[in-house]
Formats: sequence, structure tokens, C-alpha cells
Amino acid sequence: MNKNEKIKTYYNVAVVAGVITLVVGFLLLFNYLQMSGTDPVESKALDALIQRLDDDPGNSQLKEEIRNLDLMARKAYFTAKWQIQTGGWILLFSAIILILALRNYFVLTNKIEEPEKNPVSENAARVISSRWVLIAGLIIISAAFLSSFLSVDYLSRYETVDDGAKEQADKAVEVVDLTEEDEKAVPETEMEKKEEAVLVADTLPGDVEEEESEKVKQNREEQENTAEVAELKKEKEVVNQPKSLTSDFPSKSAIESQFNSFRGAWGNGISKAENLPLKWDVGAGTNILWTADIPISGYSSPVVWENRVFVTGGNQKERRVFCYDTASGKLLWNNLVDNIGGSPSTSPETSEDTGLAAPTSVTDGNVVVSIFGTGDIIAFTMEGKRVWARNLGVPDNHYGHSSSLLAYDGKVLVQYDTNKSGRLLALDIVTGETVWDVSRDNRISWASPILAEVDGKMQVVTSTAPKVAGHSIETGEELWAVECMMGEVGPSPAYANGLVIAGNEYATLAAIDPAKGEIVWESNEYLPEVASPVVADGLLFIATTYGVFACYDVHTGNKYWEMEFDEGFYASPVIGDDKLYAPDMQGVVHVIAIEREGKKLAANEMGERIVTTPALLDNRIYLRSDNKLYCIGQ
Amino acid sequence: MTNKQQNRPYLNRIVLFLLFLMLGISSFAQTQRFPKPEFETGYTQPSPTTPEPQVFGIEYLDVLVLVLALSLASWLAIKKRSRKGIMWLSVFSLLYFGFYRLGCVCSIGAIQNVALTLADPAYAISIPIILFFVLPLLFTLFFGRTFCASVCPLGVLQDLVIVKPISIKPWLQKALGLIPYIYLGLAVLLAATGSDFIICRYDPFVGFFRMGASFTMIFLGIVFVLMGLFVARPYCRFLCPYGVLLGWMSRFSKSHLKITPTECIQCKLCEHSCPFDVIDEPTEELKHEEKIKNRKRFTIFALLIPLWMFLGGLALSGLHGFLAKAHPDVYLAELLIKKPGLKNDTENLDVQTFLASGKTMEQLVHEASVIKAEYYTGSWILGVFLGLVIGVMLMNQFVVRKRTDYEPNKTGCFSCGRCIDYCPVKK
Repeated sequence: MNKNEKIKTYYNVAVVAGVITLVVGFLLLFNYLQMSGTDPVESKALDALIQRLDDDPGNSQLKEEIRNLDLMARKAYFTAKWQIQTGGWILLFSAIILILALRNYFVLTNKIEEPEKNPVSENAARVISSRWVLIAGLIIISAAFLSSFLSVDYLSRYETVDDGAKEQADKAVEVVDLTEEDEKAVPETEMEKKEEAVLVADTLPGDVEEEESEKVKQNREEQENTAEVAELKKEKEVVNQPKSLTSDFPSKSAIESQFNSFRGAWGNGISKAENLPLKWDVGAGTNILWTADIPISGYSSPVVWENRVFVTGGNQKERRVFCYDTASGKLLWNNLVDNIGGSPSTSPETSEDTGLAAPTSVTDGNVVVSIFGTGDIIAFTMEGKRVWARNLGVPDNHYGHSSSLLAYDGKVLVQYDTNKSGRLLALDIVTGETVWDVSRDNRISWASPILAEVDGKMQVVTSTAPKVAGHSIETGEELWAVECMMGEVGPSPAYANGLVIAGNEYATLAAIDPAKGEIVWESNEYLPEVASPVVADGLLFIATTYGVFACYDVHTGNKYWEMEFDEGFYASPVIGDDKLYAPDMQGVVHVIAIEREGKKLAANEMGERIVTTPALLDNRIYLRSDNKLYCIGQ
Repeated sequence: MTNKQQNRPYLNRIVLFLLFLMLGISSFAQTQRFPKPEFETGYTQPSPTTPEPQVFGIEYLDVLVLVLALSLASWLAIKKRSRKGIMWLSVFSLLYFGFYRLGCVCSIGAIQNVALTLADPAYAISIPIILFFVLPLLFTLFFGRTFCASVCPLGVLQDLVIVKPISIKPWLQKALGLIPYIYLGLAVLLAATGSDFIICRYDPFVGFFRMGASFTMIFLGIVFVLMGLFVARPYCRFLCPYGVLLGWMSRFSKSHLKITPTECIQCKLCEHSCPFDVIDEPTEELKHEEKIKNRKRFTIFALLIPLWMFLGGLALSGLHGFLAKAHPDVYLAELLIKKPGLKNDTENLDVQTFLASGKTMEQLVHEASVIKAEYYTGSWILGVFLGLVIGVMLMNQFVVRKRTDYEPNKTGCFSCGRCIDYCPVKK
């Protein structure tokens, strides 16, 4: 074979190998892209068949069909994988042939290059090179400088938020002195705004701008409501009289006659209310006294004191406390939670089903105290005057803070368990200053504290992982603890008949004797995940997220009955007027008899999702959905 | 036929026999430390995409092969002056260190092991890895970059695919020549802080050796191979961090490959023979004014070196926060600070592993802060180093060493021996 023939041969070989390489390469790429988006066990068709099988578990033909489809999908997957592997080898082989052919082709066609006639002088080349090295060096240094300015230092941001957060939070309590003239404490314009808010309660004002834009409407309504305003102003004047709030902390019996905190007085889910409605119809308006819109959604439950009902709402933009008139459902005031020292400029991210306004407020009849997922805690008078506010440090909580507040003996009790630390605090309800702040060796929790009278003395009981514990109200000191919890504790404990009941999914349901600090009985058949247990007449009730409702003997742990519902329970059940009220996630409020045999008394459809706990007062039930407040009564 | 020629077949056979013997030994040596489970269903275990660990003691066989290959490469380049021999040895190295040993252990990646063991006394480095790092450097110090020529699997793969090399302008070569220093500095910093072994992670050719890798790696490999058809050895010249160290050694090498075995006849035939443009021409006689100018430039650039070093340190130290994100703990801590909601993401394995560890966020942030502080120091060192490199490179542009013959540039020459074939002077 002469040189020309060789060149021609290598050329032809290179062309053929090149075509094969290209074709195989494209096929491989196509196959790869097709395969990367396919998961043999994540087939929609397979899912549909499996769903069908769920409805018809005995269908053996369907089972066979699923098996065949699954096998086929897997076979297709492995065939594609084999194709890629084999194709890879073909590609490699053809690429080698191509390169060899090209090399030889170019070797044979190459000619010895003639020396350059006018080469660039070496010195000139050096000067040019130095310029380019200089430019490259400057680009590198400048790019590094620029990037250093653009990079965000999140670690130091975390430290700024948390370093000495406790200390800062204590120092940052903003207190409005109510013993001085109220007009000085609250700016005139704000007072006016509140009066306007009263006037336009029906329109549910969101903020000042909205109020101003609706001025014409307000003026019209102002005339209509003159009498009402006069009455409210009069009422306000009475409340705004200088007084010492500390001395006004209500008695136990006064608190028990209200529904002042999450799950009522002491947080146990028991109300002394009588004549509660059994059945109602939202659509027809039967037994619905009024409904009111809540401008900003939230998962906090309503709390009630005499003629005021309070709820909170919050989103990434703003957090607010809403006060409604129990008689008419009018929005009496609607206060923004802002200008709090230490409050984060950007709200922490939370899960959708927790949000920033999940904790329920507490009231002692003088002030209402609310806490939010930002760590902001704020107190208003019953008329909406800001009393104090502070930030407890932004909670490091991957769902969002949800533990509700309690009040007793002039103290607001805060369970503040985050990923960072476990804390239990008592704040002065009048000033917001820390009375005590106990660091605890426990994991994050979402449960709320309760109060239990053990050996004639009230104590705070909390349920966290790993322990259920009782703390002194005076000092916060841990009085007893039982390690029995694990996982992400959501349900609050309950106290009755001298036993603390605590439970959590994947852990246990335990009855604990707080006097001895030991477990009396345990069960793990039905475990609550979100809703808290409740006890009445020696019967313990458990509502689960998967829709089973169970009743146990509180002393022995023996199960009396269980009921299955279509929907699970997030809202904690409450008891009043010898009936148990348990709203499910679909918005059906089940009424169940407090008896040893399971007996459904009624099922009332609200027509929307309910995840909050009802507040029960004589003749009335206050129930909150995401954006609506219902007053149910006869 | 001379006696020497008569003996050659026996020598070849002995060499071949030894090679096959080594392959045989190493194949049985590559056994599992723990036996694989056997399935009654007939299921066969797939081959792992990372190389099998070597049985204790047998890893020294790789070292022996390396020593033999380096010795042979040096002999072929300097004594034998055989381009063909170098090429065949390249094929052997590609098959053994590349396709057979799956690209691991490799001298380039060993930089990271050495950096980590120097920074973290708790990290135990094996002697074979140290030898893989040191031996090529040692051989280069004596014989030039013969390791690159025919032992390094990454280098020889690129060398074998050179089809029609184009010449790259010297200024572009110089400017791009800064990249390997940056890569080396980053690789050492990341390895020393225990963050990542980026040389291995972004090895463009290991996907070929293992016949499988991530799409990015395969894609990178294809890009380098296609580029390598026309731009000879792009990875070696403009990226390889080990090449920086080898270049330093080679610059002072005792014996180096020569184009002409005796006296250059200035025929200029070799002028364009090098696909890597590393043949230095005889120096021209400069005019007096040019000499003065060069001296001035040299002095200015020499005096500016401390400034470059300071600027480099300052610039890179400001970047320490960004660089520290390469460490998984820093990355996770920052991610969770930025998006606390991710703790709900059950599919995020990093987050779930952290949550399951029982470690608090505070601990994680503290640990991340400690690592970041290390990065601050490391970034300063890296910046000073890069500043020094830029400064010295600028200064070196005006260091003129007198040459009368065509010579391979000792720093850049891979000792591939292509130029030898172009030289008409054989003895």
C-alpha cells in the first residue's frame, strides 16, 4: 500500500469511526436522559393500581397485574442500564479507532513546517506575556475582593441573634407605665385609631392605611354607631383608671369561671360551663350567635374573659392580636405586634401547619399576653393598650413555636423548648420582667405547660423529650421528673385524680404520680401526636391524628372503648357540661358522652378545617377556624 | 547482528514475563476485606464504581510497579531516547494505573492526603500513598518530568489522543498557567481543613477508567478529550496541581531529556515539533537599551512582590466565609440558619442525619465557626501564596538565561520525547 492509499484508508476509517462514535454518543446521551428521569418503583400507573388494590384488597387479579407491571418496569430499567454500559464500551472502542486513524492520517499528511520568517522577538513576547500575567493577576485579586463582599456570613448572623439572647431579652423589656396618664403612654393618634377601629369593627381593618382609605365609609358608620361608641368610651374610661395590676390578679375560682388560656383554666381541657349547645348548623345559622372574620390567619385558639374574646394571627409580614366583643362579635381592637427590641427583621421560616401564630394567648382579666413564632411576647390591656413587650430570642424551631401561655399568681409561664435549649420562664404579668428562667436538659417540644395542684400546691407540669416534669411556680425549680417521652412531643399533659397523663406518638401513654415521681401505668396502643389528652370523671380520652378516639380508666389504664372517625384530630378535645367536644381536621365537631361506653351525641359540621381548641363558657362555645371566629350558643 | 541486538529478545521476554506476573499477583490480591454475601436467588453483586481496597501488604505492589515504570520512563527518555518506547510504556501505564487500578491511588490526588495528614495528626496516611506522592517528585528532581511522559494515567490518556495540536500563544500560556497554582492552593486548603478532596471529586478522566461516573464527570472528561485532540494535554498544562510541584522539581533536575544528544546544528527542525510549545529557542542578543529596560522591569516587579502577597492575602481572607462553605458542617449550619424550615424536610439526608445525631444547633454552629476560623488563616496563606506566584511570574518574565541551542523548557517539558525524532543528530 503506497502512502496515498494509506492516507485514503485512514481517512475512510476515521469517517466511519467518527460516524459510529457520534451516533452511539447521541444514543447514549438520549438513553441516559431518558433513564435519569425514570424510577422503576415510582410509576404513576403502578401507584394507581396500588390505590385500586387498597379499595379492593382481595382482588388477586389486580395483585398479579401489579406484580407484572412492577417486573416490567424493573426489566426496562435494567435493560436501559445494560444498553448504556454496552454502548459505553462501543463508544470507547470506536473513539480509539477514530483517534488512531486520525493520528495516522495527520502523521502521513503532515509536512515539516518551515521556520518562521519574521518571528516575534523573544523580548517583545516577554513584555506581552508580563502584561497578560499582570491582567490575569489583577482579575484574580479583584474577583476575590468582589466575591468577598458578595458572600453572606450566616454563621455570624446566627451568633448575633442568639448570643446572650436571654440577657438582651431581659434588658429589652419595654414597659408602658399604666399608673400614669394613659394618654401619655399611648400617642393621641393611636388612641384615635383605636376609636376608629371600634367604629369599623365590622369591616375588620387590617392596618392604618386601609383605615384611612376607607375614611368615607367610616364616617358614615360613625354616625350610625355614635351611641355605641359613647358606651365603649365610657367603658374604656373606667378600665383606664390608674390602678395596680399586681393586686388585681384574680382568684382561682375567678379564673376557673373563665376560659382564659389554652384548654381553659390550668390548661387541663376542663370547663365549668353549663348549658352548652349540643347541636348547631352553620349553613342554616341554627345556634350560631355570630361569626366574625379574622383578618390574619393563625392556629391559636380563642381565650375568653367576660365580654372579651382574644385570638392572634400572623404571617411573614405582620403579627396581630385581635379582641372581639362576646356579645356581638365586633372587632373591638386589632393591634400590631411591632417595634419590639430583639425582634428579628425577617421572621423565621415555619411549616405551613404551624405558622407564626400557633400559641394561644392568656389573660387574667387585666391584661392579655400573646406570644408568636418570632419569639415576641406582648401584653395589652383589655382595651388594647400596649403594656409591655419583649423578645425571648428567636426560637430555633423547625416547625415553628407553638407552646401556649399560662398565667398564675401574677406570672406568665412560658415553655420555650427550642433546638438550641430547653427553657421554662416565668415573667411578671404586669411588667414582663423575668421572675425566673430555668434552663432544662431536654429536647425541643411543641407542647404547652399545664398547672397541677399537687399536695395542696400548684406546680407547672411540662411534657418534653425525654421527660415529663413538675416545676415550682415560685422558683422554677424542678420538683420531680420521669423520663418516658421521646420524639417530637406535641401533646400537652393533663392532670386529674392526682395523676399526670402524658403521651406522644412513638413514645408512650403514661399516667404519672407526681407526688412520687413514678409511672403508675403505661400503654402504647393509641398514642396522641398533636391533640392533648383530657380527663373527666375518672375517664381519660385520647384523640389521635389517624382518627381513633379512645377512652381509658385513668387509674388503671384499662381501655373502655375506642371509636374510629374518618378524619384525624389536631385540635385538643375539651370537656364542659358533661360532654366532650372534639373538632376533627375536616371541621366536624364531635360531641361525645363522658361515659364508660362510647356514645356519640352529635356531629356538627363547620364546613371548614378546624385545628384549634374550642373555648367553653356558659351557654356558649367559641371556635376558631383559620380566618373565622364562631360563637355557638342557644 | 551485534551481541547487544541478539540479547534484546530475551530482555523483552523477561520484561513481558515480569509484567504479566505482576498483573496476576495484583489480581488475586485485590480481594474483599469482608466477603460479599451470597444470595440464593442467583443475584450477582454489581461491581463497585470505586476501586476495591487492596489486601494489606499487596498495595506495595503498586509502588513497585510505579518505581519500575518511573525507572523505565527515565531510562527511555534520557538514555535510550526512544519516543516509541515512551509511547508503549504510556499504553501500559494507562492500562495498569488507569483502567486496571481504576485511577486510584494516584500521585495527583495524593497531594490531598499529604496536606490532610500534615494539618490533622489524627489522619493516618498509608506509606504507599506517601510513596506515590514523593517518588515522582524525586524522579523528576533527577530526570525531569518522565512521570508525566509515560506513567501518569491522566497525562498519557491525553497524550495518546493528541491528533492535530495547535500552538498556543506564549502570553496565553503564561496567563492560563496561573490556574494550576490556584487549583493546587484550593485543593490543599480544602483537604487540610478536612472539607473535601476536590482533585478526586473533579478528576475528569476517572469516569473513563471506571466506566461510569456522574454525568458531570463524564461530561468533563469528554470535553477534555475533545479539547485534547487539538490542544495537547489541556489538563496537564492548565489545571494539574501536581504539575506545579513537578515543574518546580524539574526546573532543578540533574539530568533532563535533551533534543540533541551532542551538539545542536541549529537546523530548526525541532522548532515546531513540541505540541506543548515548551522548546526554548536560542536567546537573541539584546540591545543595551532593552537590557536596561528589562533590568528596571525586573526590579519593579521584584519590589512589588510583597504588595502582591499582601493584596492576595487580604483578598482571599475576605473570601474565607465563602470557601468555608465547602466544609459539610459549615454548609449545613449556614443552610439551617438560612432555611430553618429544612428541618422538616424528611428527604434531606444531611439534615436528618444531623437531627438524629442529637447534636444541638448551637454545637453545629460552634463547630462550623471553628472551621471557619481555620479557613481564615488558610485563606490568608493561600492568598499570600497566590500573590507570590503572580509576583514571581511577572519578575521571571525578565530573567534571561543565555541559550545557544534549542532546549526543552525544563519546567514545562513532559519528557514525551517527540522532539528527539525530529533531531537529525543521533549520536
